[in-house]
Amino acid sequence: MKLIYLVKPIHLVFALLLVIAGITIFVLTSDAPIGASGTAHPTIAGLSVGGDGAEKLSAIGKAPYYFQVAVILLAGTLLYMGVPAHRRDWLLRLCFGVGIAFALFVWVMLFSGYEAYLTTGQTRVVFGFPVPTNWMFWGIWGSFAIFDVFYAVAFRRYFLHPDDEAAFKELVREVEAQNSADREAN
Amino acid sequence: MEEFRQPIILGFVALYMGICIWVGIWAMRRTKSAGDFFVAGRGLGPMVVSLAVFSSTLSGFGFVGGPGLVYATGLSSIWMAVCSALGFATGYYLIAKRIRMIAEVRNSMSLPDIVFARYGSEAARLLTAGTILLGVLGLLATQLLAMGLVLQSILQGTDMFADISLVASVVISSTVLIFYCVTGGIVASVYTDLVQGIVMIIAGALVVITAAHVFEGGFAEATGILLANDGEDIMPFGTLGAMASLSWYFLFGLGLAGQPHVATKMMMNRNLSDNKIILPMTVFGYVIAAMLWISVGVIMRALVLGDVGLPLGNADQAAPEFLSTYAHPILAGIVFAGLFAAIMSTADGFLNIGAAAVIHDIPKALRGRSLDNELFWARSATIILSVIAATIALYSGQLVALLGAFGWGTFAAALVPVVLIGLNWKQASARAAVAAISLSLAINFAIQLWAIKIPYGISGGFLAMLSSMIIFIAVSLAEKPKPLPKDIDRILEL
Repeated sequence: MKLIYLVKPIHLVFALLLVIAGITIFVLTSDAPIGASGTAHPTIAGLSVGGDGAEKLSAIGKAPYYFQVAVILLAGTLLYMGVPAHRRDWLLRLCFGVGIAFALFVWVMLFSGYEAYLTTGQTRVVFGFPVPTNWMFWGIWGSFAIFDVFYAVAFRRYFLHPDDEAAFKELVREVEAQNSADREAN
Repeated sequence: MEEFRQPIILGFVALYMGICIWVGIWAMRRTKSAGDFFVAGRGLGPMVVSLAVFSSTLSGFGFVGGPGLVYATGLSSIWMAVCSALGFATGYYLIAKRIRMIAEVRNSMSLPDIVFARYGSEAARLLTAGTILLGVLGLLATQLLAMGLVLQSILQGTDMFADISLVASVVISSTVLIFYCVTGGIVASVYTDLVQGIVMIIAGALVVITAAHVFEGGFAEATGILLANDGEDIMPFGTLGAMASLSWYFLFGLGLAGQPHVATKMMMNRNLSDNKIILPMTVFGYVIAAMLWISVGVIMRALVLGDVGLPLGNADQAAPEFLSTYAHPILAGIVFAGLFAAIMSTADGFLNIGAAAVIHDIPKALRGRSLDNELFWARSATIILSVIAATIALYSGQLVALLGAFGWGTFAAALVPVVLIGLNWKQASARAAVAAISLSLAINFAIQLWAIKIPYGISGGFLAMLSSMIIFIAVSLAEKPKPLPKDIDRILEL
């Protein structure tokens, strides 16, 4: 239990960056299949085509999946660092936990939907776009839009508490007093 | 009305430019010091700041390059847009409050000022200013060139200006930009951003509605065509694949807060508590305007692959071609004005931070004080920077593309660790800041100069940013923590 308190958010950020770097190195050193980042359209200049999506992932497997899991955890930890340490309470941790869990859920739905498409070649079209694409449009954007809403809703509790605002005004007064004293001395 | 299409478009663009000039004249009376010129005296309201932040973020790239990328590569580039909710969140969670507090306590006028206040290092200030200047020249040149190309395409559609040259088009459009930037500084910049942001939101919303009606079956029919032809393009990772898309998400999502033209605007609000509403308004504005990026690209790709439309000579023609073929002339006029708005709102931010780097930050880092009569020199530097950028845009050939590609990744890789992490972690050190900026510049330059092709389409900017973040934390952890100045220490507690 004490270990949890010894590990600071910056350590977690560092560890996640190393994980992301490790996955990236694995991908960079894999034998990329031909057309790993698309190929030119056979007849229309300026257009590229994706080709066989399963073949593209053949050498790197689920590396993109784990890459994005690490990125979501990294993003959540960085945002957590933005809350002053003395304002972090159990409710904040709960809210962040739920928010990050939702972002991970969205990512799982997106990637598993994409994998199912690669396997079957079939996908449902909803709101004009394939289901995995909808998870990308609304889910990937929406899962962090929740954090934007949380910022507005919990602003006075976590991001600019009235006590902290008063402390800042006090600091400004002190600095101004010091500056005017320095000017008079000069 | 169709026969008046070009005059209507030209009329809207002329009206928009007239508003910009009027704002410049109005703002001149409110610009009495360098502080007014660079940070608007830290007296802006929440509506102005939110629209300025979002419109600076979504440049001409979002209105021209973005739809072009979707046309060429499917949905890969949309990861640059769907990361915006994360990007703005990191900006407001991690830097907006502290950057504004330091600006007030230290009377800071620029991001390099903030970096110096945080680290107490002239080397870190100089490197930050140098990075900004390099990135600004490249990105400004691409914006001026884009503006000239769009104006030329509009004017060539009229009888009177059918033979207008690119040079003349760049000169005309840049003159308007320079006028309001020189006369009104950042005050003119943010108030034109206000107009520009509103125009962009209206344009984005109207274009989506228009795009949805190009095919009888709406977007579902377009999706059906794409699924039948390739399929990967309309799936979440587009034709470039998962790693390319996800590396863009990392670079643009976590890197947005490191863009100096965006971060600087976070210093300008009147009240700290305004951030509460600035963030949601910014995200809302961005997402509406960015819908143009997705909808136009998807429809144009489906039209070409479905043999309904002819292939485009150049992917960047996707938006202009869509507007000239499918949009009502009045909508086309609004969107073309919105396009200029998108380009100018970003370019004016670059001009402002570039001028600050030249006359304020670099002299301070090298000789301990900025230039005398800063306001005069700020205006002069704005003109000189514009001329240099326009010259690069028109006559440098490959250099403009090189510098343009260098821009976003350079800012993100160099400044995210230094600003975003450094303002939230007391142990972050000056030596780490210098190492991170230097490493990121070296990686970005190497990738661009030697045109290194990275497997799986992984972004070079992502590699630079990941490396600089790791080196920044590693060097800071390896060093013995040093005490911070008392005011900065107290601000980092809040």
